[in-house]
Amino acid sequence: MMIDGLARILVFQGIGEVISKFVFPLVPGPVIGLVLLLAYLAWRGGVPEGVELVSAAFMRYLGVLFVPAAVGVVLFWPHLQRQALAIIVALVVSAVATVAASALIAKLLSRGGSDAP
Amino acid sequence: MRPDLPAIHEIWVYLSGSPLLALILTLAAYQAGVMIYERTQLNPLANPVLIAVTLIALALAALDMPYATYFEGAQFVHFLLGTATVSLAVPIYKGLPSLRARLLPLAAALLGGGVTSIVTAVVLARLLGADETVVGGMYAKSLTAPIAMGVAERIGASPTLTAVFTVTTGILGAALGRFVLDAVGCREWWQRGFAIGVAAHGIGTSRAFSVHAEAGAYAGLAMGLHGVAGAIVIPWAISALR
Repeated sequence: MMIDGLARILVFQGIGEVISKFVFPLVPGPVIGLVLLLAYLAWRGGVPEGVELVSAAFMRYLGVLFVPAAVGVVLFWPHLQRQALAIIVALVVSAVATVAASALIAKLLSRGGSDAP
Repeated sequence: MRPDLPAIHEIWVYLSGSPLLALILTLAAYQAGVMIYERTQLNPLANPVLIAVTLIALALAALDMPYATYFEGAQFVHFLLGTATVSLAVPIYKGLPSLRARLLPLAAALLGGGVTSIVTAVVLARLLGADETVVGGMYAKSLTAPIAMGVAERIGASPTLTAVFTVTTGILGAALGRFVLDAVGCREWWQRGFAIGVAAHGIGTSRAFSVHAEAGAYAGLAMGLHGVAGAIVIPWAISALR
């Protein structure tokens, strides 16, 4: 089941990479793969069990996939020392402001008479 | 006559030439991070990614192992980021009914959050005297890592620097999100999850899933939508502004 799902997702990733390389260089391959997989799911009218399993596993363990790149971050930081203050302030304030803005907008607009269940 | 057991450094040389050591290090450090995270009752400040990265950086320093050697092995884990990005189609697909029902608040929250993320980071970095290379790395930082790096290449920014800011943003959003959401009085799980997904992509979504299933689903939806929208809009907006 898992293998079937992973194979299908990899096929979409592959098609996405090829299209990105030769047709739409402005959009990253995984994004094209995502859109194609979404179109496939809509056309099919449901999520195949294997794809569902693999996707659920990815969502739950997404964090670990960032670790190899994040280790590079730690080693990269010393090179940014001169601008560390600007970078840290910009990143912290921006992260806090983004969470606050998205949450407040969602909250205010859904209170203002949305027909959401 | 019994052959001599290989000396420890031979085992070491053999292992460091294969991806095994880096993979074991990556997974074991993350597992340790998850255990600490659970031991602290899911305290957002005990972020598993942050703990894993700290442990690995210490291990690399202790073993005198260059990052390039580590990454050569760990790239198998890293590669799956792209695959995980494609599989975001599933939470988006499953979120379509709720997206339809809550189209206005969700679309507005995504747009408002995306714009806030770029404007605050770029303006602050510039005001505080960061150079153009650093400012360029700020544009795509709230998108999920593989998309952010792809966008960075397309807008002529440094993909490495963008990855640095993206991962830092993810950890910050996951660690601080709860306090911000409580401060602005946001209580609905779907709103909390969506806001974290917009701001802190995959690392935030991982955190959201560990706290509440509905929050996780909305975080995945937000991360996917932000990734697709950002990948299309950011390069276009930047080339239009130039």
